[in-house]
Amino acid sequence: MMDIVKVTNVKKSYKKRKTKELVQAVKGINFTIKKGEIVGLLGPNGAGKTTTIKMMCGLLVPDEGEIYINGIDIQKRRLEALRHISVVLEGNRNIYWRLTVKENLEYFAGNRGFTKKQIQEKMDHLLERFNLKEKENEMVNSLSRGMQQKVAIAIALLADTEVIYLDEPTLGLDIETSYEIRRLLKEIVQEEQKTIIISTHDMPVVQEICERVIIVNHGKVVVDDRVDNLLQLFESKAYRFTLLKPLSDWQKEVLKKEFIVTISENDNNQTILDVNITTSEGFYKITEILEKEQTPIEKIDRSIVDFEEVFMNIVKGEKEIDLAHTV
Amino acid sequence: MTWLTLFKVNMKRELILIKRYWMNTLSMIVSFYIIFLAMFLGIQVVGDPSTAELNTQYVIINYIFWYLTMAVMSGIGWVVMNEVTLGTLEQLYMSPLGAWRIFLARIVSSTIVEIGIVIVMLILSMLTAGTWLNLDILSIFPIFVLTIISMIGVSFMIAGMAVIFKQINSFLQISQFIFAGLTFVPLSVAPFLVFFPVVKGVDMVRQIAIHNYTLADFSLMDYTALILNAIVYLVLGIIVFSRCERHAMEKGILGQH
Ligand SMILES: Nc1ncnc2c1ncn2[C@@H]1O[C@H](COP(=O)(O)OP(=O)(O)OP(=O)(O)O)[C@@H](O)[C@H]1O
Ligand SMILES: [Mg+2]
Repeated sequence: MMDIVKVTNVKKSYKKRKTKELVQAVKGINFTIKKGEIVGLLGPNGAGKTTTIKMMCGLLVPDEGEIYINGIDIQKRRLEALRHISVVLEGNRNIYWRLTVKENLEYFAGNRGFTKKQIQEKMDHLLERFNLKEKENEMVNSLSRGMQQKVAIAIALLADTEVIYLDEPTLGLDIETSYEIRRLLKEIVQEEQKTIIISTHDMPVVQEICERVIIVNHGKVVVDDRVDNLLQLFESKAYRFTLLKPLSDWQKEVLKKEFIVTISENDNNQTILDVNITTSEGFYKITEILEKEQTPIEKIDRSIVDFEEVFMNIVKGEKEIDLAHTV
Repeated sequence: MTWLTLFKVNMKRELILIKRYWMNTLSMIVSFYIIFLAMFLGIQVVGDPSTAELNTQYVIINYIFWYLTMAVMSGIGWVVMNEVTLGTLEQLYMSPLGAWRIFLARIVSSTIVEIGIVIVMLILSMLTAGTWLNLDILSIFPIFVLTIISMIGVSFMIAGMAVIFKQINSFLQISQFIFAGLTFVPLSVAPFLVFFPVVKGVDMVRQIAIHNYTLADFSLMDYTALILNAIVYLVLGIIVFSRCERHAMEKGILGQH
């Protein structure tokens, strides 16, 4: 399969408007995305996700590096590259609030050169599927945030491009709408051969839709792997200690310093210590810490991980991951 | 074909919004008419009665061109400012046809609507003043189109400013007086104005409408000046605009307000 998106050594700094201070938002990012892949772009706030997406849209010129879309250099042949891309940018400002749903769809498709006839069938189909048929003649400003987001996604799909970028598509939506959007995206992914890049903080989106994740932190890629690999990797490292005596203050302190831990208590007043251990040395160290206070261990289990935990661990314990899993 | 599609959707959008917010359009026509009345009465009361009719005719032409110049020259700038406020500017920049083509389609659409409004105003003014201009459409039309082209060129330059500075309302307010200068000052008074946009065109339209010229009465120099003016300003406008876009994309300020 060919690389439909190729990002090589891309860097970008912004000048802060007031202080004129230079902020390095993206510090040399590399990745390639194959046709038909569904990739999650994750990272904490300010990691550089939106900056990266905007550069992949040619809306922002990188300071260094190159971006190819379907083999086309987006800097040199921007308009040509845009034929393969559509995007739903962050926030709820992708559409016109003073036009109706249908007028929005027709307008944006028209601006890409599609005549009304060409899109009619597809538009009806999309409106139907997005549950927007009854709202098609309503003004966008009278719709809920979730419906507005669906309209924005429908516009991106109507453009019929091979690549779609979605920047935080479920941000600020209630659980129900978020679920609906997830379901719609999943359906689309299954039916159409689209390449989708989703930036999100919404882990269910990642777990249900994405095959692969790229995690960025401080403007760099820290992990680029398949979702199931990451889950497996972490599963084998997450342990749950059930202890018969509460931990002392110094034990807690040392544990928190050395590991990524959560300490809680179960119904039987037993202390639960959830910890990620990446090496055997780590295991010895924990038992050592417990031994010092003669803390009785009831049992040790593998704990169940979801992607949220995986993500938190990677972002918090970046160094530790690098040891086990070099990018 | 794509041009036609672009023009169609942008014209449709223009018409939808005018229909939806027709009060705006109506109040604009009314205020235009009131200002015209004031000027007309001024000429009647304080002006020399022997030149009153000629003066009125000048006022009608100048005033109408001033209105049109303001509308067209600041048109794309307003579109950009508006899109920035709405947050949709970046989506327009995702079109593989290029944002500038969309803006051109928009300004052409809105100019056609403005011309419609101007015709209504023209008839109202002439009825009120009881004076009739020589509206030789066949002669006026080509000159008019070339004049509009130079206006659109300037419109792109101003839009370039809007892409970088976002809010340029105060600049647009001041520029109204510059536009007034371009449309009110006759070329015979300040010949160097021939290098400025619009001036030559308005001058030629005046000759036709007031002094009954036909196309055959103009010299080759007149046409050369008019055509060069249109081409230079349009090309310059688009170049300036794309430079400004590029700058905004480098600085990361394209969609920001
Ligand atoms: N236009 C701008 N001008 C100055 N600094 C900016 C600009 N846009 C982003 N930044 C800074 O660049 C860094 C990366 O921002 P970016 O928006 O790409 O992060 P993000 O990963 O999308 O974050 P979030 O999850 O909050 O959306 C941040 O430190 C941000 O403050
Ligand atoms: Mg972001």
